[in-house]
Amino acid sequence: MTTETTNTPLHHSRRFGPGGWETGLGHALMILASLICVFPIYWMIVTSLRPENAIFSTRLWPDAASLDNYAYALKAVPITQMLVNTFIVSIAVTVIQIFTGILAAYGFSRWKFRGSAILFAAVALTWLVPLQVVMIPNYLLVARMGMIDTLGALILPHFASAFAIMLLAQSMRSFPTEVIEAAHMDGANHAHILWHVIVPNLRGTIASLAILIFITTWNEYFWPLLLTRSPENSVIQIGLQMFITSEGTQWGPLMAASTMASLPILLVYLVLQRQVIASFMKSGLR
Amino acid sequence: MKSSLFALTALAMTAGVAQAEMMPDAVTEPVTITFYNYNLSSAGNGADATRKMIAEFEALNPNIKVKGVPVAPQDLATRIQADIVAGQPVDLSQMTFAALGFATENLGAQPLEDIVPAAELSAHFTGMVPNGLELGRLGGKTYGLAYTFSTPVLFYNADLFKKAGLDPNTPPTTWAELKEMGLQIKEKTDALPLATGIYGPTALDWLMQGVIRSNGGEVINADRTEMRFASPESIEAVTMLRDLAQTGIMKNLSITAQMEGVAAGNTAMYLQTSAIQGYLLKGAKDNFELRAAAMPAFGDKAVAPSNSGSALSLHATDPKRQRAAWELMKFLTSKRGYTIITSEIGYLPLRPEIVDDPEYLGEWVKANPLIRPNLAQLEHLVPYVPLPGPNYLQIGVSMMDAMEMATFGDNDDVKGILTETQERVQRLLPPQG
Repeated sequence: MTTETTNTPLHHSRRFGPGGWETGLGHALMILASLICVFPIYWMIVTSLRPENAIFSTRLWPDAASLDNYAYALKAVPITQMLVNTFIVSIAVTVIQIFTGILAAYGFSRWKFRGSAILFAAVALTWLVPLQVVMIPNYLLVARMGMIDTLGALILPHFASAFAIMLLAQSMRSFPTEVIEAAHMDGANHAHILWHVIVPNLRGTIASLAILIFITTWNEYFWPLLLTRSPENSVIQIGLQMFITSEGTQWGPLMAASTMASLPILLVYLVLQRQVIASFMKSGLR
Repeated sequence: MKSSLFALTALAMTAGVAQAEMMPDAVTEPVTITFYNYNLSSAGNGADATRKMIAEFEALNPNIKVKGVPVAPQDLATRIQADIVAGQPVDLSQMTFAALGFATENLGAQPLEDIVPAAELSAHFTGMVPNGLELGRLGGKTYGLAYTFSTPVLFYNADLFKKAGLDPNTPPTTWAELKEMGLQIKEKTDALPLATGIYGPTALDWLMQGVIRSNGGEVINADRTEMRFASPESIEAVTMLRDLAQTGIMKNLSITAQMEGVAAGNTAMYLQTSAIQGYLLKGAKDNFELRAAAMPAFGDKAVAPSNSGSALSLHATDPKRQRAAWELMKFLTSKRGYTIITSEIGYLPLRPEIVDDPEYLGEWVKANPLIRPNLAQLEHLVPYVPLPGPNYLQIGVSMMDAMEMATFGDNDDVKGILTETQERVQRLLPPQG
């Protein structure tokens, strides 16, 4: 027994401790996986630095790197304005959807009323309706409101999200009722309980939801395509598409614009990285 | 989405047409018109040149403001339908020739003969290539005024020709010569002998129409009531293409991969619209010599290239807006307009008198001789016949899928594939009578 208990940690340290071949193999595999993940980003940046006549070169680094593609992309398409527009729309949609999602989720999770299950199912069902189905009715509505070619129209149809409501309702239902009842006994009203008791404890879920909504809105293409009339009032995904034409793709400027477009997303991810990883692991989101 | 809008669009159009009156002689008070343009939807020369033309037009016509709306060609019909239903005015659009029939029947494109005074129309048409004008005529009326315009050209890589032991000064003039040279290129180099823009989701049938008509066949009859792509001449043309595929001279690659293969110097010959010349020249710079020849013929039969490109179609129903849109159409297709279109975008000038005129394109053509084969083909041009009815896209896609299968598939029965598909798509044509 003694031998076994003393051998086990030794055996364990040989397999998993520092310097073990398994550890080395594990690290090698992770480094390889990281390189596979990072390589497309590296290639995007390298291609953005290549001149037009070397765009199809397979060299790992351009012979004559230049920022010409960035200058061209910024001149040909109002990328800065589009990035600002996309940022405004993405932030607004994220904040509004989280806000409406929290209110609706609290209602569904805390109040039992006649038809609540049916209402919740109806909300959940809207998640299954593809955007294309409601695009034209929404377009006609927005046109009648005189909002075509405005940022407001890009935000308006996204005021509420079934996915946000469902995810937050699920989290709130698993929130300990004892804590809420204790707050009630201390005289807290619903607003206080929601914003000062529940929401601070759902920071991880809200952070992961926020990043999902932000990225989805950032990448949205069809609705802005239908709605916007001028590049200055449009979003970055439309700007990227402008480099892809039936008369050839301008890979250099496209990669330069893509590099600029991916920076804000990367920044958001870096800022919220810890919250996101923790929350994704906890809630099982992918 | 398209079908759900159809009835609403028809209703909205009927209401608009019922109010139509005569166009005034001039625009005497400020008016803003919308111009749906697909060159504006991409970054680069096409958008810059279009903005330049609009700016010059506005400077000459201070009462008219033009709101250029960027719309990709594949989205144009849907966007116009949605805007008609939404009550947004659509005054002028850059319509692909493939969609022109649809625009005539479903998007309220107006026949110029009905709204423009005859003498004025005739004066503007004077000097334009008759074949080009014919492109926008359906049922004897001009629904589209040819605007950006190109023909198929056989681009070739002179360096790869030399490497294969071929003379770059004598490119193939027939498909038989092309096959012979292609086999030599395949044997002596690592390059793909031939790429084409015939197949692919964005190509539809514009290039295939030219290939089949060069062999004496046709995809559809002239009055657009009967599909004919399973005729013996069409089958022979597709069988020739299948032979090129089976001998490894061409491969079933995506249209983008083929274009990029040529620009990267990995493909020897490329049959595609002259509109991509600028893109190919950028790839060729300091890497290889790009040249161009006319589309190959079937033996001693006359080549009958079709066109790609777009027409200007007028949708405005208000007479003042019609006048403003017509003034813009006139400017865009004037000598000055075509000088900008040709020298800055790369499309063909439909006013041949400006080609050697030093005031317009003279100097530019001297510096850009690759345009010559394309200009020469204008004389042989046989106008593209747009597929009819609201199902034109389904007809085109089904037909081209069958063509692709007959060219690259495992089944050798080209006749069987084309005949079966022709019978099927004939049912998608609008009913007669």
